Amino acid sequence: MSVTAHAPIPTERDERWHYAPLDEINARMERSVAPCGDVPTSVTPMLIDAMVGATGARLVFVNGMHTAELSDCHQLPAGVRCDVSNTSGGGGPPVATVTVDEGVRFEEPLRVVHVAVPDADAVKSLLSRARTIIELGTDAHAVVVETFGGLDGSRASTMTESSTTIRLGDRAELAYYRIQIEALDATHVGHTLIDQGADSSVGMTSVTLGGDIARNAIHVHLDGPGARADLAGIAVTGGHQRHDTVVTIDHAASRCTSNQRFNGVVDDHGRGAFSGEIVVQPGTTGTDAHQSSRNLVLDPNAEADARPWLRILADDVRCTHGATVGRLDDDALHYLRSRGIPLVAARAMLIDAFLRNVTDSIAHEAVRAHVAALVTSAASEASEASTRATRPAWPVEHP
Amino acid sequence: MLHIANLYASVAGRTILNGLDLDVPTGEVHAIMGPNGSGKTTLSNVLSGRDGYDVSGTVTFDGVDLVPLAPEARAAAGVFVAFQHPVEIPGVGNMYFLRTAVNSIRSHRGLPELAAVEFLGLAKEHMARLAMDPAFLSRSVNAGFSGGEKKRNEILQMSMLEPRLAILDETDSGLDIDALRIVAQGIERLRSPHRSMLIITHHTPLLDDVQPDRVHVLHGGRIVRSGGPELAHELEADGYGTLPIGVSG
Repeated sequence: MSVTAHAPIPTERDERWHYAPLDEINARMERSVAPCGDVPTSVTPMLIDAMVGATGARLVFVNGMHTAELSDCHQLPAGVRCDVSNTSGGGGPPVATVTVDEGVRFEEPLRVVHVAVPDADAVKSLLSRARTIIELGTDAHAVVVETFGGLDGSRASTMTESSTTIRLGDRAELAYYRIQIEALDATHVGHTLIDQGADSSVGMTSVTLGGDIARNAIHVHLDGPGARADLAGIAVTGGHQRHDTVVTIDHAASRCTSNQRFNGVVDDHGRGAFSGEIVVQPGTTGTDAHQSSRNLVLDPNAEADARPWLRILADDVRCTHGATVGRLDDDALHYLRSRGIPLVAARAMLIDAFLRNVTDSIAHEAVRAHVAALVTSAASEASEASTRATRPAWPVEHP
Repeated sequence: MLHIANLYASVAGRTILNGLDLDVPTGEVHAIMGPNGSGKTTLSNVLSGRDGYDVSGTVTFDGVDLVPLAPEARAAAGVFVAFQHPVEIPGVGNMYFLRTAVNSIRSHRGLPELAAVEFLGLAKEHMARLAMDPAFLSRSVNAGFSGGEKKRNEILQMSMLEPRLAILDETDSGLDIDALRIVAQGIERLRSPHRSMLIITHHTPLLDDVQPDRVHVLHGGRIVRSGGPELAHELEADGYGTLPIGVSG
């Protein structure tokens, strides 16, 4: 079943879907129904404020439908637009479009919020299609926060299939935050495509906390010489969650730089996977590509997989990659506890510390504080969950 | 007071503490000296509640049985261990760590938590006495600290947590003369009729500045000799080689 041109969900084995429970995703897709009807009354402006941790310019979609009364795009300066269009045509879902014109620099975060709300009366899960296009002209500069939030359902859950397309003109600069905090029984299949012009720069931070099954695919196409992509990510995976992050960076032009820093925390029976692909196309020179994946395993039943995947078809390349899987440092834990800090709080401090290299690097202060708060609360939930049960002896740390 | 009787501790089947007996009355400072491998660090680890040891015997502090208590419960009961090798914890800010620790202990004692501003004032006061730059607060716990800075950070934590039993494991090792004096003064300031201290060391210079009430010699996992402060100097002169093993007193 092919959902969109950008993000087809394959029906048979595809290496990029190695860690995703493909059959289960397709089965859930078949079982879900399209939403119809009004915006549930449970979705209020206050709920959106809490979800994004701020007021300000935003486009809000509930179950894939644009919700004007929850959106606010009136106060934007000339050259900055947040609109809704139906460019996909043929009865496809509405598209959130964020446009910043050539030469315009806008420092305030522009927010796109997708809320998945289950049908209170039905047993079938609702399928939402989220479409976003972010376009920055030459020399434009913007900060965009895209949040995928959701509500818990009493009987039914939600399924979100999202596609975000980002196009940067020459020398454009974008800070893009992708925050997935859907309900713990939700299914999320997301795809982000970033297309970069010459000397443009994107700094993307991806935060994956929600969803029962959540796949987060990011494809960066470095199409103009001198383009730069800095990708960082955090995934906290507990309970029986399955989080799959798949990054592809395609160095299609010379003198491009890419950097990937992805941190995962897995706990309980959670399974977190990171696959990072670096492609360097023939004929390019001066490529600089780095990738690191660090994983913290809090429970012997949890699993973290990290897989670098390099296809280097040129000679003039500087490329590094590294992956670690470890557990909390017993000495550090003992040190904190010996100072009177209770076990759960001590573990949360160390989980938080592990994720700091990503949270601390968020340049926008309000966004950093919001992400830090989300991550801290996920860290303390993870810590509580993994200290609830008495655990058998740990397996030996594997490299 | 701290009361230890017939304490055994082993790790991976190897017995390290071998029937250790020790009493440190309230208000007294005792020193434990001993050669490498005699069990000094195991003793401080076991008293702090470190995982990984098979422990048997009696350890009580003011009548409370410490053996089954988790490390944080021991800290709440008033026990503090200054570690020989304080661990570096990148990503955990020293100020956040210290404030969390101080407030955890305060809430155990039924005291209100300190607000950020109050805490900062108090921390700066203590740091000034230890000649520590306030910039230490904004760094990660012990990360990139020199040996001397780590030891001062231990004394800072000890002064702020106000334990009733302080165990200092080789706090003097790796310090130059100036740092040693600052650390010694920090320990001396905490000396009080309400507080017991156990100083574990294999050098005497610290004991010149912090005069112990009693000195014990640890050898083969038990106390083999006890005496007054003069015992430290006797050991300094003669070494541990002539120890009358098996005589305790």
